[in-house]
Amino acid sequence: MKRRDFVQNLLITPVAPAIASAQTAPPAEPARQQPLPQANPQMRQTPQQPHEIPKLPTTDADLTAQTAPQYFTALEFATLRKLGEILMPPIKNNPGAIEAGAPEFLDFLISVSPEERQKLYRFGLDSLEQQSKHKFEKSFSELNAEQADSILRPLLASRFWPRDPFKDPMHNFIAEVHEDLRTATMNSREWAAASERGGHRFSRGFRGTGYYWYPIDPISEG
Amino acid sequence: MAVKSYDVLIVGSGHSGGMAANILTGKGISCLMLNAGPEADYEKDRALKHTYELPYRGFNKPGRLPHVFQADEFNANQWVDEKEVPYTYPSDAPYNWVRVRLLGGRSLFWARQSFRLSDYEFKAADIDGTGENWPISLEDLAPYYSRVEQIFRVTGRKEGWPQFPDGDFVESTFPPDTETIKRVTEIANKQGVQVSKWRSALGRDGLASSINLLLPDALTTGKLDIVQNAIVREISVDKNTGLANGAHFIDRHSGREMHVNARVVVLAAGCLESTRLLLNSKIGNSSGMMGHYLVDQMYGVSVVASVPEARDGKAPPGLMGGSAFIPRFRNLSKDKKSDFIKGYCVGISSGASASANYFPLYGAELQAKLDSYANSCVSGSIFGERVARHENHVRIDPNVTDRWGIPVLHIEARDTDNERNLRKDAADTIESWFHDAGWEIICKTDEVNPPGYSIHEVGTCRMGNDPNKSVLNKWCQSHDVKNVFVVDGASFVTCGWQNPTMTILALSMRASEYLAEQMRTNSI
Repeated sequence: MKRRDFVQNLLITPVAPAIASAQTAPPAEPARQQPLPQANPQMRQTPQQPHEIPKLPTTDADLTAQTAPQYFTALEFATLRKLGEILMPPIKNNPGAIEAGAPEFLDFLISVSPEERQKLYRFGLDSLEQQSKHKFEKSFSELNAEQADSILRPLLASRFWPRDPFKDPMHNFIAEVHEDLRTATMNSREWAAASERGGHRFSRGFRGTGYYWYPIDPISEG
Repeated sequence: MAVKSYDVLIVGSGHSGGMAANILTGKGISCLMLNAGPEADYEKDRALKHTYELPYRGFNKPGRLPHVFQADEFNANQWVDEKEVPYTYPSDAPYNWVRVRLLGGRSLFWARQSFRLSDYEFKAADIDGTGENWPISLEDLAPYYSRVEQIFRVTGRKEGWPQFPDGDFVESTFPPDTETIKRVTEIANKQGVQVSKWRSALGRDGLASSINLLLPDALTTGKLDIVQNAIVREISVDKNTGLANGAHFIDRHSGREMHVNARVVVLAAGCLESTRLLLNSKIGNSSGMMGHYLVDQMYGVSVVASVPEARDGKAPPGLMGGSAFIPRFRNLSKDKKSDFIKGYCVGISSGASASANYFPLYGAELQAKLDSYANSCVSGSIFGERVARHENHVRIDPNVTDRWGIPVLHIEARDTDNERNLRKDAADTIESWFHDAGWEIICKTDEVNPPGYSIHEVGTCRMGNDPNKSVLNKWCQSHDVKNVFVVDGASFVTCGWQNPTMTILALSMRASEYLAEQMRTNSI
């Protein structure tokens, strides 16, 4: 007998005699019958342990909604979006930072980051805006590609380890925001979908899939 | 309640504890192993996921594990939580203490590079003119290295070089070198630098850990009990004899305090945890040397070059790919003087792509560069030896305790000009090789990650013949408390440039056989 049939029989068999006993004479050997959970109203208060739970399909939040940016000011966020547009545009078949929702994701990430990182971002975004106002008399988010390049290019620098800080804070900010925009883009669902469709393949910062370790035997917080 | 009595209590379940359990139970000695964390269950604890499915899109939770650079969002939960078991350090000298408390410890995740120390390390003071020699030589440890290499199935190419002692390798043939590896080899050879191959432990079934190579045999004897989630707080001492008689430990989940009796205590908790336990127990430190001479290797110095004829996907077959390993070549002779003592090894790897952070470019221009340079790179990275110094030390921080109320470590480790000069020499030397090969240098750094990053921390209970200058004798046995042994990396006198695992295993095997003999003759 299959396990499921066996379980069902267990559930069903006591029921028939119970109904029968209410209507007709008691069965010959009542002592052999198993106790009947449903027959006792008090027992119904006891949570039942299901034998099996159906697995229902659920939908990932990212497929139904967008991250609502709320950390940076509107002006700072416009600068961050502009950086995404310039530093990580869509190339070949791959999405760019804007298509991958990278600025919105970074708004969230920085909002939950240590204060030092929050300060670096705020300093960097505000400085870009000031430079833009000073040089072009308009917001950084309103610059064309050539104007933005004239501000950004002198701030780019090479480094071996992505973590190594530069002495100059603006070099540091540009390196960090560039790295973060690239990673947030290449780790996105949109990027993975483009890769699956046979788009151009990148490796840096893009892991694709991996074994995720859950919290192992976590300590009760209670 | 009936409580079992054990001959030996082993604290820790990684390579060193696993080896102690394997040897001791094999001699009929009953052992209890206490491990601070749980046993991992690959089925339950891991799942294959896309990066975008992770809560922080692969960035890891900000601020978590700030000192574990090896952690990413996939593996963050396998490391010890820095908030749960904190440690302190001076604000100007951060230390990366990278820990695993799962059953099997760091033996679950090590990189498997498997080298012997040579007498250039065991007798370093003779060559450097400073520091201390180990109380043992390669000859003492060689038979144990051989047995360990067989258990771990180490591959390597035999060379016969004194600075790179050969092992008992299961495989010693390698595919022919590519042209780029040949080119570096030729240039290095001309400078008298010898070039070999990596030596790596194959293990079995994709794992080279105490949990598959050492502990199963120990359990089969019926002489080993393993308790998980048992956090040892203090070694208990018999006031009349001054000998250890067991340990106090805490159940990780409930915080319940327990005590176990044992005739002998073997510490194998990883060098800094073993030392922390001894310091908290206030035993074994009549020399005042406990906690001192903390040392590990420098990782991070690297040079990357791009091979012009390999760009734009035009590399002919046989040009790119493969690797080489260059064992220490500096300061092997007393005659040749550098502006530093000790040395470094170099790993050469061919065929990788360039990282975006190498180039001060962005957007389409950056992508075109990355595309062009894909698979055209040769890199050289070092493991550099630091000098073991008295001032680099750990002590108990009187103001901070961990989640279980156990005082934590304060760690102080700083580099000096010796380390900086060594790094500069390494970066300049590798750069010159790549330059001579006709390749474009695209990135070079002589900076390193903070100490501890190599996860090769050793020392703090160094061994020696003089009880005034060392904590342990040459058998990893406490000078002060004869029934306490420390079989992990704490006994190291110098760190060498070599990955320490084979040496830790060989020392643990040797100490455990010595201990078994002492117990058989009732000398302990």
